[in-house]
Amino acid sequence: MSNNNKKWFSLNLGRKEKVSSGSCSCGKTSGGCGTSSNSHHMTDDEFAAAAINASIGEERTKDGFEQVFDVKMDRRTAFKKLTASLLIGAGAVSTSCSVISGDESREKSQIDWEEQFKGNYKLMTDEEKQATVDRLVRSYQLRTGKTLSMSSKNAEEDVLFGYAFNISKCQGYMDCVNACVEENNQDRDSQMQYIRIHEMKDGKGFNFNEADDNYYHEVPAEGHFYMGTQCFHCDNPPCVEVCPVQATWREDDGLVVVDYDWCVGCRYCMAACPYDGRRFNWSKPEVPEAEINHNQHYLGNRMRKKGVMEKCTFCVQRSRAGKNPACVEACPTGARIFGNLLDPNSTIRWVLENKKVFRLKEDLGTEPKFWYFMD
Amino acid sequence: MKNNIDIMSKIVCFSFFLLVFFSCKHHENEYHSITDKIEAESKNYHGTSISSEAYIGDIKTIEITEGGHTFLIPERKSQIKSYACTECHTKPLSQMQSKNLKKAHWDIKLDHANANTMNCITCHDGTNMDHLTSLTGKSIDFNNSYNMCSQCHNKQFEDWKGGAHGKRIGGWAPPRASMTCVNCHNPHKPHFESRWPARFNTQKVKERE
Ligand code: SF4
Ligand code: SF4
Repeated sequence: MSNNNKKWFSLNLGRKEKVSSGSCSCGKTSGGCGTSSNSHHMTDDEFAAAAINASIGEERTKDGFEQVFDVKMDRRTAFKKLTASLLIGAGAVSTSCSVISGDESREKSQIDWEEQFKGNYKLMTDEEKQATVDRLVRSYQLRTGKTLSMSSKNAEEDVLFGYAFNISKCQGYMDCVNACVEENNQDRDSQMQYIRIHEMKDGKGFNFNEADDNYYHEVPAEGHFYMGTQCFHCDNPPCVEVCPVQATWREDDGLVVVDYDWCVGCRYCMAACPYDGRRFNWSKPEVPEAEINHNQHYLGNRMRKKGVMEKCTFCVQRSRAGKNPACVEACPTGARIFGNLLDPNSTIRWVLENKKVFRLKEDLGTEPKFWYFMD
Repeated sequence: MKNNIDIMSKIVCFSFFLLVFFSCKHHENEYHSITDKIEAESKNYHGTSISSEAYIGDIKTIEITEGGHTFLIPERKSQIKSYACTECHTKPLSQMQSKNLKKAHWDIKLDHANANTMNCITCHDGTNMDHLTSLTGKSIDFNNSYNMCSQCHNKQFEDWKGGAHGKRIGGWAPPRASMTCVNCHNPHKPHFESRWPARFNTQKVKERE
């Protein structure tokens, strides 16, 4: 509150280091704010149940698709939905001001509050980015007792990421798909995959209508070739243009990213993408605790929630650290080449300058940074 | 009064000029294409602070320079189980192919080109097993075995030097480390095996029913 540089309102809910003892953000100087009314204090679980009930109610048994296309919205449910978000905030206040609840749940609700009302990542200063990352790490620790590392590393100067795919090398093994799912904590229930490998008939060019992206037979199959698609990180990305809340944008190193906490789930970007690059969480993403990749980036593979958009980020958590994306590392044929387009000595530049390269739907002017080539 | 009008018209003229000037340089249309952009922006490339060195891991590497490209490849000789070969190959091969000597390498079946083109001694030197031998009989070190392969596969060799063929080890940033031929291709059987895909998406099948 005291920080004038903040771009959004934040409320300090009795964090010890910030508030002088005996005072609470609700203004009282003695006792908890909740004590004057003899109100019943919900436990965390009860509260969560009530909040979920208010927000989704009977829809819990339906899957994501049904929820959207099969919804009966009367005034009562509409009102319930509206109040749900308020309730979460109010709950955070009530728990954190209560004398009964412990330090941990106080901290948890403080985090919940700040996360609920934080700003768009794109507009954050480096300190604010660090703060939200710290909160998310702490919140995960409080919930699961486990630690994870989450980075908020920014784009480096003089870096523009690009990708090249050798269609004469790809054998259709799909090792890349496996690696991607594991690296990026994608929903196992709906078997979300950023990468699709298309099996195409030789001599027919790129014919996506007759291609199969879910084959299961020995590969490579006679008379076929394989090519992979994923988000191409367009330099002029139409998906970014259409987002009504600017939850998705192009970073300075060319990565097109999504702020999962700012996305409202309208799926405009999905419709705008000419390359089928985006994936939507129709249901709550589930990853078994043991399989979670704990090396995360805010813009990359951190855990998503239901109703938000996600997509390939060229493994931002790896690529910004100098590692190859998981797909590049997993491919046993070396068909995938990744690198810095601005480095004249990089291998990706050699490929672009010495091989016959082409991109998909070049005429759209989207300028994808994903080239195909042949031996 | 006249002075004022004069100043006004000057201002209008100037702002019109500014407008024309800047409207031609909209940020997003600054370059015609991504290729132009890459070319222009990489003119003053100074390198980055990012390094991939840590990701090469404990692979032992050697530095080579081929066709103007300098990069690392995995060292080979320490990976061969019982190098030096002459520890067993004490005599020329012709003398070792007798019945009463212990058999070795029985599991190697040559499946590389055809019998007209290749046999063991196309690459191996029966009198000096510690080295490979070129088509003209020059000796080639096991660590630089790509010189062996490049005698025929020169197109692949060109691509490999530049980085279009052969997988990168570790990361995209310098220093570059690339697999050498024999890290992916078994020289006795260089083709990739056909096999089943790593996964099958059952959910996709349901969605498309
Ligand atoms: S491929 Fe699609 S999702 Fe990726 S940047 Fe381009 S338009 Fe956006
Ligand atoms: S789904 Fe999310 S990222 Fe996509 S357009 Fe809507 S708000 Fe933006």
